[in-house]
Amino acid sequence: MKIERITVWHKELPLSKPYWFSGGRLKVEALDSTILRIDTADGLSGWGEGCPWGHSYLPAFGGGIRAAIELLAPFLLGQDAGQIGQLNRLMDLMLPGHQSAKSPLDMALWDLAGKRAGEPLYRLFGGAEGDGVAINSSISSGTPAEMVALIEAARAKGYRTHSAKVGGPNPDLDVARINAIEEARLDGEFITFDVNRAWTPAVAVEVMNGVTSNGWFEQPCESLRECAEVHARVKQPIMLDECVHSFQDHLEAWSLRACEGVKVKPNRLGGLTKCLQVRDFCLSVGWCMHIEDLGGTVLADTAALHLAYSTPLENRLASWLCHAHLTDECDPAPGQGARNRDGLAVLPAAPGLGVEPSADWLGPPHAVYGA
Amino acid sequence: MKITGIELYSVPLTSHVTYYMADGKVCDRVDSTILKLETDQGVTGWGEVCPIPHYLEAYAGGVAPAIQELAPILLGADPIGPEALMARCDRHLQGHRYAKSALDIALWDLTAKAAGLPLYRLLGGRQVEAAPLYHSITCADPAEMARIARDAYAQGIRQFQAKLGADQDWEADAARLIAVREAVGPGPLLYGDWNCGATKLHAIRVARAAMPCDVMLEQPCDSLEACAEVRHASGLAMKLDESVHDLDSLLRAQALGCCDVAAIKLSKFGGLGPARRARDLCLQLKIMMVIEDVWGSDITTAALTHLAVATPGKYLLNACDLSGYVTPRLAPDGPERDRASLRPSERPGLGITPDEAVLGTPILTFRRERAA
Repeated sequence: MKIERITVWHKELPLSKPYWFSGGRLKVEALDSTILRIDTADGLSGWGEGCPWGHSYLPAFGGGIRAAIELLAPFLLGQDAGQIGQLNRLMDLMLPGHQSAKSPLDMALWDLAGKRAGEPLYRLFGGAEGDGVAINSSISSGTPAEMVALIEAARAKGYRTHSAKVGGPNPDLDVARINAIEEARLDGEFITFDVNRAWTPAVAVEVMNGVTSNGWFEQPCESLRECAEVHARVKQPIMLDECVHSFQDHLEAWSLRACEGVKVKPNRLGGLTKCLQVRDFCLSVGWCMHIEDLGGTVLADTAALHLAYSTPLENRLASWLCHAHLTDECDPAPGQGARNRDGLAVLPAAPGLGVEPSADWLGPPHAVYGA
Repeated sequence: MKITGIELYSVPLTSHVTYYMADGKVCDRVDSTILKLETDQGVTGWGEVCPIPHYLEAYAGGVAPAIQELAPILLGADPIGPEALMARCDRHLQGHRYAKSALDIALWDLTAKAAGLPLYRLLGGRQVEAAPLYHSITCADPAEMARIARDAYAQGIRQFQAKLGADQDWEADAARLIAVREAVGPGPLLYGDWNCGATKLHAIRVARAAMPCDVMLEQPCDSLEACAEVRHASGLAMKLDESVHDLDSLLRAQALGCCDVAAIKLSKFGGLGPARRARDLCLQLKIMMVIEDVWGSDITTAALTHLAVATPGKYLLNACDLSGYVTPRLAPDGPERDRASLRPSERPGLGITPDEAVLGTPILTFRRERAA
């Protein structure tokens, strides 16, 4: 399992329609993805992908991911790919932080481990529960009527969990959006109102106490401390996302009583290995999780969904699939991986990730490290 | 004024003395990245950032891609009043403070040049005549560290940082502190720095053994909570470095009661603007400060000197003459060590003129297309 070569591709992934963040603060039209393959001396190959959501969402961008891989690759060459924990520690020693660049490398190591074991990744992560992973829609911010219409369209496609983007300079408009969506919600449907840090604590307290919904609110304010202050003064459960980057951050969130759940994303935390640690911590303190990646093709989506599928249903909320928002040309492995069918994704039973990107789609590599 | 061009240069800096730290970390030869901003008024601004390996979330190869990502925001923008443009940069690209540090310093250089004032006058005015220096002693055997301390003492240095932990041997660490104290005698400030490399047990044992020789501890462990426990168990004053990197972490450190001194390193915070905000918070919290940078040569040394002399002397513990540790010098008119202190230039801006022959050819250049 000696690592012989790391090949890196840079792919631009156009979204099928432009995506507006909460409050119209940010428009994303295409994603910048880094896909890589680790080849080992015994002829196995593992795949990984790192794709931030644009350059303004988290401290991660495509050019930085590729620059950090250039630094890390020489340290990984010649190492035993089976030593995933050791290699994570090595990467952390050689380059503190820069988790978004470590995620695709760690993902490829897990793909290799699964292939070597002859098992799909979800079995290495604890074993499957349920028939698949529930998929949630992503409802772009707009007027109350526009957002309800988007939810109705998603419902027609089989989605039963919706992540609705709210949060802007006008608290009254947010109250109107949330109440309209709650009014239109069907029994058995779940809505998460994702604020993406748009509110000050004062606005969060005002809006959340002024709406009818008792559902999840995600990342209302910028910092963990602000979210914790809000949490103490509202009735709804809070989900954290952008303000937790490390295991230590999760410990702090727990000690501050800041939330009842978190999003677990490999590209934010630094790979599946670190996500596993966080996932198991969340289980031990009774939190709920949305487990998905920041962005990417079916490759990154499937990796995250293996972890979701191995997480108890009680603690598992639905996952989001980035690849469903990309144009049709952005499919590295048609027919493979976790794909949405009527609101549910079934995980591949093939060893490893179960996604083998095609050479034609990948085209010429951006960089090759090793022999 | 508008920014018309950005150039990045990479210059390898070699330490006069190879630097050994805890956990096998070494600082010997590292690449410094120099950023030059050109404007339509013919005024030029300079910045520098020099990450060292294994230390913070920063590496030399990460600077150029981040500046490239920011170039569309910068070209054509008005550089005067750095905070406004840096806020736009922060919205465009989150994090990557170290890369932004070089940019922020260059914007301050331009702003002060436009004002015709030495930079310290924009950062609070002259509060001290000169910034006292400390000397950092590489982690070696106790006798060698004592020798280095005696040499520095003879040059007028009265503040000493002893690097600890290179061999994971707590008795050796205690012997290092005791030997350096014997070498410099009672009075001078002495602190032992683990750069996050110690366990709580190790640090507490060293602290107890070295307590009679009047020492301060620096960043023994890698979390604020663990450092706080060492602070409280040992009763010794503590300096924090790696764990304090923004206003939030300073506030947390204060709440945990473990921050007697904070290292305000420009590139850790993201440049002069964020470092100035941290300085002002430290003044409010009564935290003393070391004003310095991670590494670098004349440009970053000039920048930190301006901030240091604009800081009240009561809370300015010391500053660091980084360019005195490395070769080559980037600017012949950079700040010079005057026995054991640094003084800024009285010329406008940073007051330095980098030697373009030393900088070599730019590794990256961005130019604004001229409007027809």
